[in-house]
Amino acid sequence: MRHPAGLLLAAIQAGRGRAFPLLLLTVGALVLNGIDRTPLLNVREALFDQYQRQMPRARTNEPVIVVGIDSQSLVKHGQWPWSRDLVAQLVRKVHAGKPLALGIDIVFAERDRYSPEVLSARIPDLPPDVLAALPDPDRELASALRDHPTALAVVGLSKALPGSTQPARPLPEFNPGTGLDQHLPQYAGALASRPLIEKSAAGEGLINASPGLLQANSERGVLRHVPTVGSINQLPFLSLPLEMVRLALGGGAVVTESGAQGMTAIRIGDYRLPTQANGEVLLHFGRASSNYYLSAADVLAGVHPPQIFDDRFVIIGFNSTGLQDRIITPLGESLPGIDIHAQVIESLLSGQALQRPVWMAHLETATLLLGGLLLIATIPVLRPRYAVISFTALGLLLIAGGYLAFFGGRWLFDGVSQVLLLAPVFILLLGNTLVVADGRRRDAELQLQRSREDAARVAGELDAARRIQMGLLPDPATVFADERRFSIAALLEPAAAVGGDYYDCFRLDDQRLCVAIGDVSGKGVPASLFMAISKTLTGVLMRRQADLGLAVRELECELNRENAEYLFVTAFIAVLDLTSGDMEYACAGHDAPILQRAGQLSRVDTSAIAGPPLCAAGDYPYLAGRMQLLPGDRICLFTDGVTEAGNGLEMFGLGRLQSAIEDCAEAELQITATTLRDAVRRFEAGQPPADDLTLLLMQWHGPAASER
Amino acid sequence: MMNLPTREQAGVLIVSVSGRIDHITSEEFTKALDPLLDRCAQGHPSVLLDFSGVDYISSAGLRVLMMASRRAKGQKGVFAIAALQPLVQEVFAISRFNLIVPCYVSVETACKVLGS
Repeated sequence: MRHPAGLLLAAIQAGRGRAFPLLLLTVGALVLNGIDRTPLLNVREALFDQYQRQMPRARTNEPVIVVGIDSQSLVKHGQWPWSRDLVAQLVRKVHAGKPLALGIDIVFAERDRYSPEVLSARIPDLPPDVLAALPDPDRELASALRDHPTALAVVGLSKALPGSTQPARPLPEFNPGTGLDQHLPQYAGALASRPLIEKSAAGEGLINASPGLLQANSERGVLRHVPTVGSINQLPFLSLPLEMVRLALGGGAVVTESGAQGMTAIRIGDYRLPTQANGEVLLHFGRASSNYYLSAADVLAGVHPPQIFDDRFVIIGFNSTGLQDRIITPLGESLPGIDIHAQVIESLLSGQALQRPVWMAHLETATLLLGGLLLIATIPVLRPRYAVISFTALGLLLIAGGYLAFFGGRWLFDGVSQVLLLAPVFILLLGNTLVVADGRRRDAELQLQRSREDAARVAGELDAARRIQMGLLPDPATVFADERRFSIAALLEPAAAVGGDYYDCFRLDDQRLCVAIGDVSGKGVPASLFMAISKTLTGVLMRRQADLGLAVRELECELNRENAEYLFVTAFIAVLDLTSGDMEYACAGHDAPILQRAGQLSRVDTSAIAGPPLCAAGDYPYLAGRMQLLPGDRICLFTDGVTEAGNGLEMFGLGRLQSAIEDCAEAELQITATTLRDAVRRFEAGQPPADDLTLLLMQWHGPAASER
Repeated sequence: MMNLPTREQAGVLIVSVSGRIDHITSEEFTKALDPLLDRCAQGHPSVLLDFSGVDYISSAGLRVLMMASRRAKGQKGVFAIAALQPLVQEVFAISRFNLIVPCYVSVETACKVLGS
């Protein structure tokens, strides 16, 4: 049974760490497609609002004037609702100029309370002649509206409420087609002005905000889109500001552009606005301005010349704290609702609205999938630092792409949601990479640790072997401390921890001294083991066998007995009679030693008796040579570690060895030995020695020396 | 892997060896020589190593020659070396390896002796 964490890790690492990220990517694509139902919508809308804050719509000219029924007006003319003859006065003041169109953002649904019927009902004692003399305010307003391009407000209702009426001025010649109809807002009933008033007006426009706006809490009361067209009881109506523009253009037809998914744009005359499928415009808001707001009281008082309204759109509506509806724009500004109408007119005239066609969502899904697959393909093979750089670059590209699309063409492309949806994919991929890398690092560390331990163990063992090997070699200074007939100095330096060279020096008896030098083929541990055997056997057999030639033959025989590796040994062995100076010697493939006599150098003559190395032939009949030493003669035994020491270009050679010996002819033997060694090391100039280096120097002082 | 070009002349298989044969290259030399020694037996051509391209030989190299020689002897084949450079000649002289492996001054001389 596996640990739950192990199971989870196995699931994450399935499919070489790609299956789970792929699943996450699929989930991400689904979330992106249904973003309206996820909290991610807030992020998207915040991003789109941010675009607008970075680049609000420029408001260069002011085609709209708002005549606001503000606090000042209420103070001066009394509480709302005003008598409609006062409203009629206001309308006449506006019409005194030549506005392109007038829109009234007010519904006059009931009888005016100052109408003669209402007054007679309230005050039954009023004489009939007084009543007859009273003007009818509704008629006043109707007559003020007549003959001018004026649009009245209509409120679409989802249910037919008591008092709801059918507005009388639908759009003429509007045929959105049945396919498109279902996308547009539908209202069962409406709140419209009294028939008398609305018949005088040139048109009527909806003032509804987006239906369902209040239910869609995620929008948090920010107004982002407004409808352009809707139908009340199957009859089409434009929104109030668009109706005003239509009236200003002479009341012509309105054309919609549509695709398979619904509406794409609305055209009034030459003006065109891109829309959503349901006919809503994504408004590109401009910064709020109070420049185009006039107080109704000032207009009534004739403060402004009538020409101020020439060639402008004029909207009458509420701009008072007690009466108005206020909305929040994506720019974060709180504006009276009437300002939206002004912004819609400005947008239509400049043809500027935000664009988010249906295909934009498909594009986003495509880029999400493409980016995700790119990550899944590349992250597992990249090093973590490049993985992080890649993801950062991809994220920046998506976000920057969104900003560029907005700045370039007011396209709304949501790169941030994609980055947020790609992040889990990336984290999982990177996590996997890190888990794998961490595992590898641990393995490598473990292996390094092990190999270090092994190396330390081997080094420790080699060190012990070296101590034992060096311990096998006698120290002439201590062995012959009180010897006056001869002196000996020896030196051995293995190329590796242990080596295959050896030397030996011992007295066979009081009269005879035996010196030997040997070099096992190869080097390192195998050679060192064979060296130990050779050295020991040499000592034993030299003591047992009086005849030197026979002793060497026996030595070869013994060595050859168990020699599976076919190693061989070159050796030079000499026995010196300390009284007579007679020296007997045998040579098995070894360099002939150098003889130093009265300052002259020569070689010990081995040509007649030298045989091949021990164990090379296996049964060679070695013979011994003989020579007479003179008192003071020095003999230098050496291995090829001296003559074949190289500096990378050439070898030390016999010539350099001889001149080095000549240079220290009178020096003590031990000093000579180290001087020769130093000369070799200097020549090598830092090159690691290729072979073991051994020197054995012997000087016979003559028979008289013992009596001195 | 050490390259050992071969040619046959007067019934002798001549193997050209070149470079340094030391502790490091001796193993390669052994491996390269192995298939040639398989054929060095009675009734087969003699194997002659042309050493004219060998600059240096160490004791490890000598060991390879010794083993080759022993093997050839065991198979009753003929194994020899020819055309040694002076430095290599000196190593052979000191170690008396000419007693272990027959050495000839030149390939031609060797062929005259071995080819008969």
